[in-house]
Amino acid sequence: MQDPAVQETLLQQGVNLMLLGMGTVFVFLTLLVIAMTLMSAIVQRYFREPEPEVAAPGTGSTPTRSPAGDTQLLAVIKAAIDQHRGKK
Amino acid sequence: MNTVLNLWHDTGVYQVSGGELVMILVGFGLLFLAIRKGFEPLLLVPIGFGCILANIPGAGLALSAIENAAYAADPEVLAAIAQALGAGAVDSGNELLQLYADAGGGARYQVLQIAAQAGHSDGMLYTFYRVAIDSGVAPLVIFMGVGAMTDFGPLLANPKTLFLGAAAQFGIFATVLGAVGLSAAGLMDFSVADAAAIGIIGGADGPTAIYVSSLLAPELLGAIAVAAYSYMALVPMIQPPIMRALTTREERRITMTQMRRVSKREKITFPLVLLILVALFLPTAAPLLGMFCLGNLMRECGVVERLSDTTQNALINITTIFLGLAVGSKLAADKFLDPKTLGILCLGIVAFGIGTACGVLMAKLMNRFSKTPINPLIGSAGVSAVPMAARVSNKVGLEANPQNFLLMHAMGPNVAGVIGSAVAAGVMISMVSGM
Repeated sequence: MQDPAVQETLLQQGVNLMLLGMGTVFVFLTLLVIAMTLMSAIVQRYFREPEPEVAAPGTGSTPTRSPAGDTQLLAVIKAAIDQHRGKK
Repeated sequence: MNTVLNLWHDTGVYQVSGGELVMILVGFGLLFLAIRKGFEPLLLVPIGFGCILANIPGAGLALSAIENAAYAADPEVLAAIAQALGAGAVDSGNELLQLYADAGGGARYQVLQIAAQAGHSDGMLYTFYRVAIDSGVAPLVIFMGVGAMTDFGPLLANPKTLFLGAAAQFGIFATVLGAVGLSAAGLMDFSVADAAAIGIIGGADGPTAIYVSSLLAPELLGAIAVAAYSYMALVPMIQPPIMRALTTREERRITMTQMRRVSKREKITFPLVLLILVALFLPTAAPLLGMFCLGNLMRECGVVERLSDTTQNALINITTIFLGLAVGSKLAADKFLDPKTLGILCLGIVAFGIGTACGVLMAKLMNRFSKTPINPLIGSAGVSAVPMAARVSNKVGLEANPQNFLLMHAMGPNVAGVIGSAVAAGVMISMVSGM
Protein backbone atom coordinates (compact mmCIF):
# COMPACT_ATOMS: atom_id res chain seq x y z
CA MET A 1 0.00 0.00 0.00
CA GLN A 2 2.66 2.47 1.11
CA ASP A 3 6.33 2.32 0.39
CA PRO A 4 8.57 1.09 3.23
CA ALA A 5 10.22 4.47 3.83
CA VAL A 6 6.87 6.12 4.60
CA GLN A 7 5.91 3.27 6.92
CA GLU A 8 9.22 3.61 8.70
CA THR A 9 8.74 7.31 9.34
CA LEU A 10 5.13 6.80 10.45
CA LEU A 11 6.21 4.21 13.02
CA GLN A 12 9.13 6.42 13.97
CA GLN A 13 6.77 9.32 14.53
CA GLY A 14 4.55 7.09 16.66
CA VAL A 15 7.47 5.99 18.83
CA ASN A 16 8.67 9.58 19.14
CA LEU A 17 5.21 10.73 20.11
CA MET A 18 4.99 8.02 22.77
CA LEU A 19 8.40 8.57 24.34
CA LEU A 20 8.37 12.37 24.25
CA GLY A 21 4.69 12.57 25.18
CA MET A 22 4.95 10.24 28.14
CA GLY A 23 8.15 11.99 29.20
CA THR A 24 6.50 15.40 29.07
CA VAL A 25 3.49 14.19 31.06
CA PHE A 26 5.76 12.79 33.78
CA VAL A 27 8.02 15.84 33.89
CA PHE A 28 5.06 18.22 34.04
CA LEU A 29 3.29 16.27 36.77
CA THR A 30 6.55 15.95 38.73
CA LEU A 31 6.88 19.73 38.57
CA LEU A 32 3.28 19.98 39.73
CA VAL A 33 3.98 17.65 42.68
CA ILE A 34 6.96 19.81 43.67
CA ALA A 35 4.96 23.02 43.26
CA MET A 36 2.05 21.61 45.26
CA THR A 37 4.24 20.37 48.10
CA LEU A 38 6.01 23.73 48.24
CA MET A 39 2.74 25.65 48.10
CA SER A 40 1.22 23.53 50.85
CA ALA A 41 4.31 23.97 53.03
CA ILE A 42 4.31 27.74 52.54
CA VAL A 43 0.59 28.10 53.16
CA GLN A 44 0.75 25.93 56.26
CA ARG A 45 3.78 27.68 57.66
CA TYR A 46 3.22 31.38 56.90
CA PHE A 47 -0.47 31.75 56.27
CA ARG A 48 -1.76 29.43 58.88
CA GLU A 49 -2.52 31.86 61.73
CA PRO A 50 -5.81 33.32 60.54
CA GLU A 51 -7.06 29.86 59.66
CA PRO A 52 -7.83 28.69 63.25
CA GLU A 53 -9.33 32.13 63.98
CA VAL A 54 -11.70 31.69 61.07
CA ALA A 55 -12.32 28.12 62.11
CA ALA A 56 -12.55 28.93 65.84
CA PRO A 57 -15.92 30.70 65.84
CA GLY A 58 -17.30 27.85 63.75
CA THR A 59 -16.03 25.13 66.02
CA GLY A 60 -16.66 27.28 69.10
CA SER A 61 -20.26 27.94 68.27
CA THR A 62 -21.20 24.35 67.53
CA PRO A 63 -20.29 22.95 70.99
CA THR A 64 -22.11 25.81 72.74
CA ARG A 65 -25.10 25.29 70.58
CA SER A 66 -25.11 21.53 70.76
CA PRO A 67 -25.27 21.22 74.59
CA ALA A 68 -28.08 23.73 74.51
CA GLY A 69 -29.79 21.63 71.89
CA ASP A 70 -29.01 18.54 73.89
CA THR A 71 -30.54 19.85 77.12
CA GLN A 72 -33.59 20.97 75.24
CA LEU A 73 -33.81 17.61 73.50
CA LEU A 74 -33.28 15.81 76.81
CA ALA A 75 -36.08 17.79 78.40
CA VAL A 76 -38.42 16.97 75.55
CA ILE A 77 -37.52 13.26 75.70
CA LYS A 78 -37.91 13.26 79.48
CA ALA A 79 -41.31 14.91 79.25
CA ALA A 80 -42.39 12.42 76.61
CA ILE A 81 -41.28 9.48 78.74
CA ASP A 82 -42.99 10.92 81.79
CA GLN A 83 -46.17 11.42 79.86
CA HIS A 84 -45.95 7.90 78.50
CA ARG A 85 -45.42 6.44 81.97
CA GLY A 86 -48.07 8.73 83.44
CA LYS A 87 -50.60 7.35 81.00
CA LYS A 88 -49.82 3.86 82.17
CA MET B 1 -50.40 13.04 -11.03
CA ASN B 2 -47.22 15.06 -11.11
CA THR B 3 -47.89 16.46 -7.62
CA VAL B 4 -48.45 13.00 -6.21
CA LEU B 5 -45.19 11.89 -7.77
CA ASN B 6 -43.39 14.87 -6.24
CA LEU B 7 -44.85 14.07 -2.84
CA TRP B 8 -43.72 10.48 -3.19
CA HIS B 9 -40.22 11.67 -4.14
CA ASP B 10 -40.10 13.78 -0.99
CA THR B 11 -40.85 10.91 1.37
CA GLY B 12 -38.16 9.26 3.42
CA VAL B 13 -39.07 5.84 2.07
CA TYR B 14 -38.23 6.94 -1.49
CA GLN B 15 -35.03 8.77 -0.66
CA VAL B 16 -33.46 6.56 1.99
CA SER B 17 -30.18 4.85 1.21
CA GLY B 18 -28.83 1.71 2.83
CA GLY B 19 -26.20 3.64 4.77
CA GLU B 20 -28.69 6.08 6.21
CA LEU B 21 -30.95 3.24 7.26
CA VAL B 22 -28.07 1.50 9.06
CA MET B 23 -27.07 4.76 10.78
CA ILE B 24 -30.63 5.35 11.96
CA LEU B 25 -30.53 1.88 13.45
CA VAL B 26 -27.19 2.74 15.08
CA GLY B 27 -28.90 5.81 16.57
CA PHE B 28 -31.66 3.63 17.98
CA GLY B 29 -28.98 1.30 19.32
CA LEU B 30 -27.31 4.20 21.14
CA LEU B 31 -30.65 5.27 22.58
CA PHE B 32 -31.23 1.70 23.75
CA LEU B 33 -27.82 1.60 25.47
CA ALA B 34 -28.50 4.95 27.13
CA ILE B 35 -32.08 4.38 28.26
CA ARG B 36 -32.21 0.68 28.95
CA LYS B 37 -28.62 -0.01 30.00
CA GLY B 38 -27.90 3.37 31.60
CA PHE B 39 -24.70 4.00 29.57
CA GLU B 40 -23.80 7.68 30.14
CA PRO B 41 -27.42 8.67 29.37
CA LEU B 42 -26.67 12.40 29.65
CA LEU B 43 -24.50 12.18 26.57
CA LEU B 44 -25.77 9.18 24.67
CA VAL B 45 -29.42 10.32 24.55
CA PRO B 46 -28.60 13.53 22.64
CA ILE B 47 -25.89 11.77 20.59
CA GLY B 48 -28.20 8.92 19.62
CA PHE B 49 -31.05 11.26 18.77
CA GLY B 50 -28.70 13.57 16.88
CA CYS B 51 -27.53 10.55 14.90
CA ILE B 52 -31.11 9.73 13.88
CA LEU B 53 -31.87 13.36 12.97
CA ALA B 54 -28.67 13.70 10.96
CA ASN B 55 -29.53 10.66 8.86
CA ILE B 56 -33.13 11.49 8.02
CA PRO B 57 -33.05 11.39 4.24
CA GLY B 58 -33.83 14.65 2.50
CA ALA B 59 -33.92 16.73 5.69
CA GLY B 60 -30.24 17.66 5.45
CA LEU B 61 -30.00 18.66 9.12
CA ALA B 62 -26.31 17.88 9.33
CA LEU B 63 -25.37 19.43 5.98
CA SER B 64 -24.15 22.88 5.05
CA ALA B 65 -26.14 25.12 2.68
CA ILE B 66 -23.99 24.25 -0.30
CA GLU B 67 -24.21 20.52 0.41
CA ASN B 68 -27.98 20.83 0.70
CA ALA B 69 -28.10 22.66 -2.63
CA ALA B 70 -25.91 20.04 -4.28
CA TYR B 71 -27.96 17.10 -3.01
CA ALA B 72 -31.30 18.72 -3.80
CA ALA B 73 -29.98 18.65 -7.38
CA ASP B 74 -32.26 21.31 -8.85
CA PRO B 75 -30.78 21.55 -12.37
CA GLU B 76 -31.02 25.36 -12.56
CA VAL B 77 -29.29 25.90 -9.22
CA LEU B 78 -26.61 23.35 -10.08
CA ALA B 79 -25.96 25.09 -13.38
CA ALA B 80 -25.73 28.49 -11.69
CA ILE B 81 -23.30 27.16 -9.10
CA ALA B 82 -21.19 25.44 -11.75
CA GLN B 83 -21.02 28.71 -13.65
CA ALA B 84 -19.95 30.59 -10.52
CA LEU B 85 -17.19 28.04 -10.01
CA GLY B 86 -16.09 28.53 -13.58
CA ALA B 87 -16.93 25.00 -14.65
CA GLY B 88 -19.03 23.82 -17.56
CA ALA B 89 -21.84 21.32 -17.22
CA VAL B 90 -21.66 19.31 -14.03
CA ASP B 91 -23.68 16.15 -13.80
CA SER B 92 -23.59 15.24 -10.13
CA GLY B 93 -23.73 17.07 -6.81
CA ASN B 94 -20.63 15.33 -5.52
CA GLU B 95 -18.57 16.59 -8.42
CA LEU B 96 -19.80 20.09 -7.64
CA LEU B 97 -18.79 19.78 -3.99
CA GLN B 98 -15.33 18.72 -5.08
CA LEU B 99 -15.06 21.83 -7.26
CA TYR B 100 -16.35 23.95 -4.38
CA ALA B 101 -13.72 22.55 -2.01
CA ASP B 102 -10.98 23.56 -4.47
CA ALA B 103 -12.47 26.98 -5.21
CA GLY B 104 -11.11 30.32 -4.00
CA GLY B 105 -12.75 32.69 -1.54
CA GLY B 106 -14.56 34.87 -4.07
CA ALA B 107 -16.16 31.99 -5.94
CA ARG B 108 -17.19 30.38 -2.67
CA TYR B 109 -18.96 33.52 -1.59
CA GLN B 110 -20.88 33.63 -4.86
CA VAL B 111 -21.87 29.98 -4.53
CA LEU B 112 -23.14 30.60 -1.00
CA GLN B 113 -25.27 33.45 -2.28
CA ILE B 114 -26.73 31.33 -5.05
CA ALA B 115 -27.53 28.57 -2.57
CA ALA B 116 -29.14 31.08 -0.20
CA GLN B 117 -31.24 32.59 -3.01
CA ALA B 118 -32.44 29.13 -3.97
CA GLY B 119 -33.67 28.73 -0.38
CA HIS B 120 -30.97 26.39 0.91
CA SER B 121 -29.54 27.06 4.36
CA ASP B 122 -27.21 25.34 6.81
CA GLY B 123 -28.86 22.46 8.65
CA MET B 124 -29.57 22.92 12.34
CA LEU B 125 -27.16 20.21 13.47
CA TYR B 126 -24.50 21.54 11.12
CA THR B 127 -24.82 24.94 12.80
CA PHE B 128 -24.60 23.34 16.25
CA TYR B 129 -21.44 21.55 15.18
CA ARG B 130 -19.86 24.72 13.81
CA VAL B 131 -20.68 26.75 16.91
CA ALA B 132 -20.16 24.16 19.63
CA ILE B 133 -17.42 21.81 18.52
CA ASP B 134 -15.64 23.23 15.49
CA SER B 135 -14.85 26.34 17.51
CA GLY B 136 -13.76 24.21 20.48
CA VAL B 137 -16.16 26.06 22.77
CA ALA B 138 -18.41 23.26 24.06
CA PRO B 139 -15.74 20.86 25.32
CA LEU B 140 -13.97 23.76 27.02
CA VAL B 141 -17.11 25.01 28.75
CA ILE B 142 -17.79 21.46 29.93
CA PHE B 143 -14.24 21.28 31.21
CA MET B 144 -14.88 24.44 33.22
CA GLY B 145 -17.92 22.74 34.73
CA VAL B 146 -15.86 19.66 35.54
CA GLY B 147 -13.35 21.95 37.26
CA ALA B 148 -16.14 23.49 39.30
CA MET B 149 -17.26 20.02 40.37
CA THR B 150 -13.81 18.77 41.30
CA ASP B 151 -12.51 18.77 44.86
CA PHE B 152 -8.73 18.75 44.90
CA GLY B 153 -8.59 18.10 48.64
CA PRO B 154 -7.58 14.41 48.37
CA LEU B 155 -4.90 15.26 45.81
CA LEU B 156 -3.51 18.12 47.91
CA ALA B 157 -3.40 15.86 50.94
CA ASN B 158 -1.34 13.32 49.03
CA PRO B 159 0.42 14.94 46.04
CA LYS B 160 2.29 11.73 45.21
CA THR B 161 -0.89 10.31 43.74
CA LEU B 162 -0.31 12.59 40.74
CA PHE B 163 2.19 9.98 39.55
CA LEU B 164 -0.62 7.46 39.35
CA GLY B 165 -2.54 9.85 37.14
CA ALA B 166 0.57 10.21 34.99
CA ALA B 167 1.20 6.47 34.71
CA ALA B 168 -2.36 5.77 33.61
CA GLN B 169 -1.84 8.10 30.64
CA PHE B 170 0.49 5.49 29.17
CA GLY B 171 -2.65 3.92 27.75
CA ILE B 172 -3.03 6.97 25.51
CA PHE B 173 0.45 6.81 24.10
CA ALA B 174 0.55 3.03 23.75
CA THR B 175 -2.64 3.26 21.69
CA VAL B 176 -1.10 5.92 19.45
CA LEU B 177 1.66 3.45 18.74
CA GLY B 178 -0.94 0.73 18.16
CA ALA B 179 -2.86 2.87 15.67
CA VAL B 180 0.31 3.83 13.83
CA GLY B 181 1.36 0.17 13.86
CA LEU B 182 -1.95 -0.86 12.29
CA SER B 183 -1.49 1.58 9.45
CA ALA B 184 2.17 0.61 9.00
CA ALA B 185 1.02 -3.01 8.72
CA GLY B 186 -1.41 -1.90 6.02
CA LEU B 187 -4.52 -2.94 7.97
CA MET B 188 -5.90 0.57 8.50
CA ASP B 189 -5.07 3.97 7.15
CA PHE B 190 -4.50 6.25 10.13
CA SER B 191 -2.25 9.30 9.99
CA VAL B 192 -0.26 10.38 13.03
CA ALA B 193 -2.93 13.01 13.79
CA ASP B 194 -5.66 10.35 13.61
CA ALA B 195 -3.62 8.08 15.87
CA ALA B 196 -3.17 10.83 18.43
CA ALA B 197 -6.89 11.59 18.48
CA ILE B 198 -7.76 7.90 18.87
CA GLY B 199 -5.26 7.48 21.69
CA ILE B 200 -6.95 10.19 23.75
CA ILE B 201 -9.90 7.81 24.19
CA GLY B 202 -7.61 6.10 26.72
CA GLY B 203 -7.72 9.30 28.78
CA ALA B 204 -11.31 8.33 29.64
CA ASP B 205 -12.29 11.95 29.44
CA GLY B 206 -15.09 12.82 27.01
CA PRO B 207 -14.55 16.57 26.58
CA THR B 208 -10.78 16.15 26.19
CA ALA B 209 -11.28 13.46 23.54
CA ILE B 210 -13.74 15.63 21.62
CA TYR B 211 -11.52 18.69 21.87
CA VAL B 212 -8.45 16.87 20.57
CA SER B 213 -10.25 15.11 17.74
CA SER B 214 -11.97 18.33 16.65
CA LEU B 215 -8.48 19.77 16.21
CA LEU B 216 -6.58 16.78 14.86
CA ALA B 217 -9.07 14.45 13.19
CA PRO B 218 -12.53 16.05 12.71
CA GLU B 219 -13.68 13.31 10.34
CA LEU B 220 -13.19 10.66 13.05
CA LEU B 221 -14.89 12.72 15.75
CA GLY B 222 -18.19 10.83 15.74
CA ALA B 223 -16.61 7.43 16.23
CA ILE B 224 -14.11 8.71 18.80
CA ALA B 225 -16.75 10.43 20.92
CA VAL B 226 -19.05 7.43 20.84
CA ALA B 227 -16.17 5.12 21.79
CA ALA B 228 -15.00 7.43 24.59
CA TYR B 229 -18.42 7.76 26.20
CA SER B 230 -19.40 4.11 25.79
CA TYR B 231 -16.18 2.89 27.36
CA MET B 232 -16.53 5.36 30.21
CA ALA B 233 -19.84 3.69 30.96
CA LEU B 234 -18.12 0.33 30.78
CA VAL B 235 -15.40 1.24 33.32
CA PRO B 236 -17.02 -0.91 36.07
CA MET B 237 -16.81 -3.90 33.75
CA ILE B 238 -13.46 -3.32 32.07
CA GLN B 239 -11.36 -2.40 35.09
CA PRO B 240 -11.98 -4.98 37.86
CA PRO B 241 -10.63 -8.08 36.04
CA ILE B 242 -7.43 -6.20 35.18
CA MET B 243 -7.11 -4.92 38.75
CA ARG B 244 -7.59 -8.39 40.24
CA ALA B 245 -5.17 -9.99 37.81
CA LEU B 246 -2.36 -7.61 38.68
CA THR B 247 -2.70 -7.58 42.48
CA THR B 248 -2.53 -10.22 45.20
CA ARG B 249 -5.23 -10.53 47.84
CA GLU B 250 -2.84 -9.17 50.47
CA GLU B 251 -2.16 -6.07 48.40
CA ARG B 252 -5.84 -5.43 47.93
CA ARG B 253 -6.35 -5.60 51.71
CA ILE B 254 -3.87 -2.81 52.44
CA THR B 255 -5.48 -0.04 54.46
CA MET B 256 -4.23 3.47 53.84
CA THR B 257 -3.48 6.07 56.48
CA GLN B 258 -6.01 8.80 57.22
CA MET B 259 -5.49 11.88 55.06
CA ARG B 260 -4.57 15.23 56.57
CA ARG B 261 -7.01 18.11 56.53
CA VAL B 262 -6.45 20.51 53.63
CA SER B 263 -6.97 24.18 54.34
CA LYS B 264 -9.18 26.47 52.30
CA ARG B 265 -6.19 28.58 51.31
CA GLU B 266 -4.37 25.64 49.82
CA LYS B 267 -7.43 24.79 47.77
CA ILE B 268 -7.70 28.36 46.51
CA THR B 269 -4.01 28.55 45.67
CA PHE B 270 -3.88 25.23 43.83
CA PRO B 271 -5.67 26.21 40.59
CA LEU B 272 -3.48 29.31 40.40
CA VAL B 273 -0.30 27.27 40.83
CA LEU B 274 -1.47 24.87 38.14
CA LEU B 275 -2.31 27.76 35.83
CA ILE B 276 1.14 29.28 36.27
CA LEU B 277 2.83 25.97 35.52
CA VAL B 278 0.70 25.51 32.40
CA ALA B 279 1.51 29.03 31.25
CA LEU B 280 5.22 28.44 31.79
CA PHE B 281 5.68 24.96 30.37
CA LEU B 282 2.73 23.78 28.31
CA PRO B 283 0.76 26.62 26.68
CA THR B 284 -0.94 24.15 24.28
CA ALA B 285 -2.77 22.70 27.27
CA ALA B 286 -3.85 26.19 28.32
CA PRO B 287 -7.36 26.11 26.77
CA LEU B 288 -8.30 22.90 28.58
CA LEU B 289 -6.49 23.40 31.85
CA GLY B 290 -7.15 27.13 31.91
CA MET B 291 -10.90 26.62 31.82
CA PHE B 292 -10.53 23.79 34.31
CA CYS B 293 -8.62 26.04 36.72
CA LEU B 294 -11.16 28.83 36.31
CA GLY B 295 -14.00 26.45 37.20
CA ASN B 296 -12.11 25.15 40.21
CA LEU B 297 -11.19 28.62 41.43
CA MET B 298 -14.85 29.67 41.24
CA ARG B 299 -15.72 26.68 43.36
CA GLU B 300 -13.06 27.16 46.01
CA CYS B 301 -12.79 30.93 46.36
CA GLY B 302 -16.22 31.08 47.94
CA VAL B 303 -17.18 34.58 46.74
CA VAL B 304 -18.87 33.64 43.46
CA GLU B 305 -21.26 30.95 44.62
CA ARG B 306 -23.72 31.89 41.89
CA LEU B 307 -21.23 31.52 39.08
CA SER B 308 -19.95 28.27 40.48
CA ASP B 309 -23.48 26.95 40.79
CA THR B 310 -24.35 27.93 37.22
CA THR B 311 -21.15 26.45 35.85
CA GLN B 312 -21.61 23.06 37.44
CA ASN B 313 -25.34 22.78 36.81
CA ALA B 314 -27.20 24.89 34.26
CA LEU B 315 -24.30 25.77 31.97
CA ILE B 316 -22.83 22.28 31.80
CA ASN B 317 -26.27 20.80 31.12
CA ILE B 318 -27.06 23.22 28.31
CA THR B 319 -23.66 22.67 26.75
CA THR B 320 -24.07 18.90 27.04
CA ILE B 321 -27.25 19.03 24.95
CA PHE B 322 -25.57 20.97 22.15
CA LEU B 323 -22.41 18.90 22.37
CA GLY B 324 -24.37 15.66 22.16
CA LEU B 325 -26.43 16.79 19.17
CA ALA B 326 -23.35 18.11 17.43
CA VAL B 327 -21.51 14.83 17.94
CA GLY B 328 -24.60 13.03 16.62
CA SER B 329 -24.43 15.15 13.47
CA LYS B 330 -21.01 13.66 12.79
CA LEU B 331 -22.46 10.16 12.70
CA ALA B 332 -23.11 10.19 8.97
CA ALA B 333 -23.15 6.91 7.08
CA ASP B 334 -20.19 7.66 4.79
CA LYS B 335 -17.94 8.49 7.76
CA PHE B 336 -19.15 6.06 10.42
CA LEU B 337 -19.72 2.91 8.34
CA ASP B 338 -16.04 2.46 7.70
CA PRO B 339 -13.55 -0.18 8.86
CA LYS B 340 -11.80 2.68 10.67
CA THR B 341 -14.65 2.85 13.15
CA LEU B 342 -14.11 -0.78 14.07
CA GLY B 343 -10.41 -0.03 14.48
CA ILE B 344 -11.20 2.93 16.71
CA LEU B 345 -13.52 0.89 18.91
CA CYS B 346 -10.91 -1.88 19.32
CA LEU B 347 -8.03 0.54 19.95
CA GLY B 348 -10.16 2.47 22.46
CA ILE B 349 -10.75 -0.52 24.67
CA VAL B 350 -7.06 -1.46 24.47
CA ALA B 351 -6.21 2.09 25.55
CA PHE B 352 -8.48 1.74 28.58
CA GLY B 353 -6.99 -1.61 29.55
CA ILE B 354 -3.39 -0.47 29.25
CA GLY B 355 -4.10 2.73 31.19
CA THR B 356 -5.70 0.78 34.02
CA ALA B 357 -2.86 -1.74 34.13
CA CYS B 358 -0.17 0.95 34.18
CA GLY B 359 -1.90 2.81 36.99
CA VAL B 360 -2.10 -0.33 39.11
CA LEU B 361 1.52 -1.28 38.39
CA MET B 362 2.70 2.24 39.24
CA ALA B 363 0.81 2.07 42.53
CA LYS B 364 2.48 -1.27 43.32
CA LEU B 365 5.86 0.28 42.61
CA MET B 366 5.09 3.29 44.81
CA ASN B 367 3.89 1.01 47.60
CA ARG B 368 7.30 -0.69 47.50
CA PHE B 369 9.18 2.54 48.11
CA SER B 370 6.72 4.71 50.00
CA LYS B 371 6.83 5.23 53.75
CA THR B 372 3.06 5.15 54.04
CA PRO B 373 1.26 2.15 52.55
CA ILE B 374 -0.46 2.58 49.19
CA ASN B 375 -3.16 0.19 48.07
CA PRO B 376 -2.45 -0.67 44.41
CA LEU B 377 -6.16 -0.59 43.66
CA ILE B 378 -6.22 3.20 43.74
CA GLY B 379 -3.85 3.22 40.75
CA SER B 380 -6.59 2.20 38.36
CA ALA B 381 -8.44 5.42 39.21
CA GLY B 382 -5.65 7.28 37.41
CA VAL B 383 -7.58 6.96 34.14
CA SER B 384 -9.80 9.98 34.95
CA ALA B 385 -13.46 8.88 34.36
CA VAL B 386 -14.40 10.82 37.51
CA PRO B 387 -15.87 9.52 39.79
CA MET B 388 -16.65 6.14 38.29
CA ALA B 389 -13.07 4.84 38.38
CA ALA B 390 -12.65 5.84 42.04
CA ARG B 391 -15.86 4.02 42.91
CA VAL B 392 -14.58 0.92 41.15
CA SER B 393 -11.37 1.06 43.23
CA ASN B 394 -13.47 1.37 46.37
CA LYS B 395 -15.70 -1.53 45.40
CA VAL B 396 -12.87 -3.93 44.55
CA GLY B 397 -11.15 -2.91 47.79
CA LEU B 398 -14.27 -3.64 49.83
CA GLU B 399 -14.46 -7.13 48.29
CA ALA B 400 -11.05 -7.95 49.74
CA ASN B 401 -11.51 -6.15 53.05
CA PRO B 402 -15.01 -5.02 54.03
CA GLN B 403 -13.59 -2.43 56.45
CA ASN B 404 -11.39 -0.75 53.88
CA PHE B 405 -12.88 2.36 52.30
CA LEU B 406 -10.62 3.55 49.49
CA LEU B 407 -12.98 6.06 47.89
CA MET B 408 -11.36 9.25 49.19
CA HIS B 409 -7.86 7.86 48.59
CA ALA B 410 -8.82 6.95 45.03
CA MET B 411 -10.21 10.44 44.36
CA GLY B 412 -6.61 11.76 44.45
CA PRO B 413 -5.38 9.74 41.45
CA ASN B 414 -8.79 10.19 39.85
CA VAL B 415 -8.56 13.98 39.62
CA ALA B 416 -4.85 13.62 38.85
CA GLY B 417 -5.98 11.61 35.83
CA VAL B 418 -8.06 14.55 34.61
CA ILE B 419 -5.01 16.81 34.78
CA GLY B 420 -2.86 14.06 33.28
CA SER B 421 -5.08 13.54 30.25
CA ALA B 422 -5.38 17.28 29.66
CA VAL B 423 -1.58 17.52 29.77
CA ALA B 424 -1.30 14.56 27.41
CA ALA B 425 -3.80 16.28 25.09
CA GLY B 426 -1.69 19.44 25.11
CA VAL B 427 1.47 17.47 24.33
CA MET B 428 -0.29 15.65 21.47
CA ILE B 429 -1.61 18.85 19.95
CA SER B 430 1.74 20.62 20.08
CA MET B 431 3.74 17.61 18.82
CA VAL B 432 1.39 16.56 16.03
CA SER B 433 0.89 20.06 14.69
CA GLY B 434 4.69 20.44 14.69
CA MET B 435 5.22 17.25 12.65
